[in-house]
Amino acid sequence: MTVPPARGILAYRNEAIGALLWALGLALPAVLDSSWVAVAAIFAIYAITALSEDVILGRGGMFDMGHAVYFGIGAYVTAILNTEFGWPIFATLPFAILAAAAVGALLAAPLIRLRGDYLLVATIGFNAIFVLAMQNNLAGITGGSDGLTGLDVPVLFGLPLESQSAMFWLDWVALGIVMVLMRNLDRCEFGRTLRYLKQDELAATTLGVDARAAKTLAFAVGAGLAGLAGTLFAVQLSTVSPTSFVFTESVTLFAIVIVGGKGSVPGVLLGTALMFVVPQFFRQFATYRYFAFGFAMIAVMVLRPQGLWPRRIQNE
Amino acid sequence: MGTFVQQVFNGLTVGGIYALIALGYTMVYGVMRLINFAHGDLCILGAFIGLTLLSGAAGSGHPGVALLLLAFVLAIAVVAAAGVLLEFVAYRPLRRADRLAAVVSALGASVLIENGIMIVWGPNVHVFPSGLLPETVWHVAGAAITFVQVLIILASVVLMAALYVFVHHTKFGTAIRAAAIDQDTARLMGINVNRVIVTVFVVGPALGAIGGLFVGVYYREAYFTMGWVYGLYAFIAAILGGIGNIPGAMLGGVLLGLFNAFAAGYISSSWQDAITFALLIGILLVRPTGLLGERVAEKV
Repeated sequence: MTVPPARGILAYRNEAIGALLWALGLALPAVLDSSWVAVAAIFAIYAITALSEDVILGRGGMFDMGHAVYFGIGAYVTAILNTEFGWPIFATLPFAILAAAAVGALLAAPLIRLRGDYLLVATIGFNAIFVLAMQNNLAGITGGSDGLTGLDVPVLFGLPLESQSAMFWLDWVALGIVMVLMRNLDRCEFGRTLRYLKQDELAATTLGVDARAAKTLAFAVGAGLAGLAGTLFAVQLSTVSPTSFVFTESVTLFAIVIVGGKGSVPGVLLGTALMFVVPQFFRQFATYRYFAFGFAMIAVMVLRPQGLWPRRIQNE
Repeated sequence: MGTFVQQVFNGLTVGGIYALIALGYTMVYGVMRLINFAHGDLCILGAFIGLTLLSGAAGSGHPGVALLLLAFVLAIAVVAAAGVLLEFVAYRPLRRADRLAAVVSALGASVLIENGIMIVWGPNVHVFPSGLLPETVWHVAGAAITFVQVLIILASVVLMAALYVFVHHTKFGTAIRAAAIDQDTARLMGINVNRVIVTVFVVGPALGAIGGLFVGVYYREAYFTMGWVYGLYAFIAAILGGIGNIPGAMLGGVLLGLFNAFAAGYISSSWQDAITFALLIGILLVRPTGLLGERVAEKV
């Protein structure tokens, strides 16, 4: 083990810029009207989901094209526990995260030995099965195609988060926490293990890395974070239905990570903004919106195959 | 007994369509290691082109069979051209790039074609004109078998046999198989790999256009998101048979068609897709290279 070189204040420049932008973001409700605050809140939620996809796809190098499943499990666990059993929203949060993480690990464990494209196909399959199970009202508690409605307002320390601004701040703080987690993931042992496995799995295994355990853990972490985003999503919309978690949502999350830049926090955030916020400006052009969207996906990949804001190559 | 025979014929019809579409996935994957997510949408583009011609000419007094042939020729020509254009614009620049960049480019192409179809033909479900083909129905062992079903089954068999001969018994087919095993070595042996790839993007979409038009003629409808539905099924068929393996795609298509027909007929149609995907995941777990084994050289 080498001692890391002393890091000057400049080494934290990116972190400082990120923290500053995040802090400025807290003021968004002061300058935007309520419908755009809702867009900003949903941006924060999708950004968390995209960052969680990045743990599996970008950092773990596993082709997960069914990530909406874990997002959906978080949302459904919160919605079911709240509407059917009357649990307060924040009490459901740990269960939403754990349930999503457990499903992620259980589904992934037998499949991670499959080669990339087969994993991709299997996760598409999970997504289709999940949506059908929700639509067909599995166990009579998912509400079928209409889903579940009428979630409570979340109450934090006796303070109901009723206004759209309050909910935005909740989502924004969650996004901040996840960004710090992602930064730390780069530097902790688990993050290094994933990078090593991606570069050379055989060499890593001969040095005693348990590839299967590390990859399963990556799935669990990514799925758990998506579960967190799912809870926030259920709260924001106060309703949960299968259409929010269909396969095309997974495709969008997958594309956000690749278009933005694998393993790069600013890249994934930029990708989320481009694939989610920019289309909101073009609502009146609904017919041509997705046509242009598809064209943009091809154009970005052809012009910048490494993504818009790729991860810096670090000498570590 | 009647239900059983009926489901066998329904399954063979749908299976033939799946197989025709699956061949496009498997040929492209075999040569380029790329899941061409836009393939399903290309096939449905074929259905819409055929639909426009047939509805425009319906009631004009022309014989149905001649019109139908013209519709197929036109659909094949346009879709094959679109396939070549797609390869040139969206895939060729990414041949040496990270594989995921090509995957996202393919997804973008799928969104583009799907919404292009919506812009041109609108978001509604279109109905295929009736009376183009004989409405003959044969009754066999208590099952009703229509002329369209027999036509689709026979045409699929003939087309697949022709493709098999082309790939396995011609010089150009040998070049395709060589490029699928190792592009660089194939190039050293004097094979023009670019020409092989263009051929694959002509033959695959051409067969897919026929499959897509059969979908329209069989179900008598076309809508712009249909590419995903049939594309995904055909893709599963290609995986079932072993991706990159041409006879495998044929077998996978027919088996998946039969499986779907029986699942819908005997179990429950609302869980049909879930059962199909569960079968797919099960097969991937037990036999990851598909039933006949993949014909793809392992990339190291």
